[in-house]
Amino acid sequence: MTDTPARPTDPFDPEALNAAEGLDPIDPAYAQVLRVATALNLIPLAIGASVFDYLLIRHVEGPYGLITAAAWLIATVVIISFPSRRVSRWGYKIGEGQLRVARGWLFRTDTIVPFVRVQHIDVGQGPVERWFGLSHLIVHTSGTHNSTVTLPGLPADLAAAMRETIRRHIQTDFA
Amino acid sequence: MSDDAAIPAIEGEPDWQRLHPATLALAIVKLGPRSLNFLPAVAALGFTGNWVYIVPAILAFLLFSLVAAWLHWLRFRFLVGDDEIVIESGVLSRQHRTIPFDRIQDVSIEQGLVSRALGIAKVGFETGAGGKENDADLDAIALDSAQALRTTIRAHRSGEAAPVAADPSDTAPVTADRLLFAMTPRQLLTAGLFNFSLAALAVVGAGMQFFDGLLPFKFNVFNPMDWVDVAEDYGLDQWLLAHRWIAGVGAALSLLLIGFASGVATMFFANWDFRLTREPRTLRRTRGLTTRTDVAVPVKRVQAAILVTGWFRQRFGWHELRLQSLASDGGKERDHQVVPFAKLAAIDPVLAEVVIRRPDAGQSWQHSHRIVALGPIIGAGCALIGGGVALYLGNDVGWLALVAAPLIALIAFWAARYHRWADLDEQIAIRRGWWKPKMTLLPHASVQSVDLKSDFILRPLGLATLVFGVPGGSSLAAHEIPAIPIATARDLRDRILTARARA
Repeated sequence: MTDTPARPTDPFDPEALNAAEGLDPIDPAYAQVLRVATALNLIPLAIGASVFDYLLIRHVEGPYGLITAAAWLIATVVIISFPSRRVSRWGYKIGEGQLRVARGWLFRTDTIVPFVRVQHIDVGQGPVERWFGLSHLIVHTSGTHNSTVTLPGLPADLAAAMRETIRRHIQTDFA
Repeated sequence: MSDDAAIPAIEGEPDWQRLHPATLALAIVKLGPRSLNFLPAVAALGFTGNWVYIVPAILAFLLFSLVAAWLHWLRFRFLVGDDEIVIESGVLSRQHRTIPFDRIQDVSIEQGLVSRALGIAKVGFETGAGGKENDADLDAIALDSAQALRTTIRAHRSGEAAPVAADPSDTAPVTADRLLFAMTPRQLLTAGLFNFSLAALAVVGAGMQFFDGLLPFKFNVFNPMDWVDVAEDYGLDQWLLAHRWIAGVGAALSLLLIGFASGVATMFFANWDFRLTREPRTLRRTRGLTTRTDVAVPVKRVQAAILVTGWFRQRFGWHELRLQSLASDGGKERDHQVVPFAKLAAIDPVLAEVVIRRPDAGQSWQHSHRIVALGPIIGAGCALIGGGVALYLGNDVGWLALVAAPLIALIAFWAARYHRWADLDEQIAIRRGWWKPKMTLLPHASVQSVDLKSDFILRPLGLATLVFGVPGGSSLAAHEIPAIPIATARDLRDRILTARARA
């Protein structure tokens, strides 16, 4: 955290990032969900690169195997190491009548939505998330910017509880 | 089918109605541009030598389109009930839509040139649901029934919401309609002169470029060589060489004339007989020379006010006022232009109607960090490199980039000084831009969510950008205060989020 010089924490330590801003981390199991999603994106690309290598580079007498090896290496590294880093940079805080969601490190966005301004709430669960017992919470506001704020990687029961908390506020503050 | 079907039955007698039969005539007019799609087919018939089929093919196309329009008209019906409007449409797949009057934010009436000749108007219902497919319209019904329909809906709404009167704007109940702002032809002329624009020229130029190969004559208005050829034909080249200064001045004068004429023309067409009136719960704007529009902005739905001016017109005190509302203004505009061109003294009463205060001259402003110029400067750097590469490859256009890039960077750096903001108790004011200064007045209560953004460039400098989620407006241009100290940003965020809801 370079923006608070009084707290000499390692800017690359994600735990410190959340702790310094008073945020709760999301469930680490969400890394597995991200990993599956990343794998589903990258493996077809790696296969494509291999096919390209096989069909073209071999015919033009190029260095056959280089592209294939690089593609699979990059895909493996990205699938194994990146998701857990990305997950540790999500943080949220619920309380004082507002929901706070922070994400990202290189481009960090810290969003606050007062419960009063919530239009409606979704709790969603994809097939992979169901496998790991996770849900995501989507909060809709009437703003054009930030019309939906998504918070992934919540245990299913916690997401339902958060939905109830927010829902109560929507009802009590309804004019 | 008959003419009386277009008169709304507001006596409470549920009676299905059709659109005005003149809508069919409108469909014929709309066929004009549509038949362009048919051109390739005609050309194909011509090229293959089947000339005899061309006329029957065109007739078949016309017949088919007319039958389609007629079927569409036949299968479209609507019903104005006591507190709702029901619309049924669709030829093959039927769509049944019910809109309660309570949910209609805004009824707009629009008339194009042909519609005005036919005495019909398109009625749009804005429900604030967002998305084009969620808005219903009646295209088109008779003008008087359109106005009657709007009166019905408005009477229903104000009758319902009158006892609430919690909004500060209702403290002095407005009973009679009151004219807030109007534009005389003389004002329009002044506004048009400031509206100087060479955009029309650019459009024609682009068109000439595009059609260069298609034109039957070999002459391109924008190719100087063509002009030289013409001059030679008439023996003018000798004269021009002798009087090149006169020729240059003539060219500059004609450019100026085109710029002013197009500015005045667009202003007159868009804002002829501009009237902004305060009605019990809305601001109502009527304007337009050929296409006449009539839009109502509910006062309670106004989320923010935007004051736009230009670096030159600012010196004469001319400003434009736009209101950002939950309901969007037609398809093109994302906010409502309520005062196209006026001095601040004329704008203030309009702002007072929507309970938004303009900061006075003595207001102290806080500046954004100069780092906001980084983006354009990086862009200019890229242009510089691109220009260098082009020159290296022997393309003289590269000089253009080399000259433009430092200029862009300088202007960006200069304009960065004009990014400033101020917190005025219940609203924030954000100013930006030097070439086209823009001041956004955003009441705290309009803010739905706040983003505090920081990235690898802003963070080491201890800066953050605040982005506000506000209803209405464009999703591309969010309201933001860029690059301010992070502690200030946090503080401001907390203060804004504690404000109570506006609507």
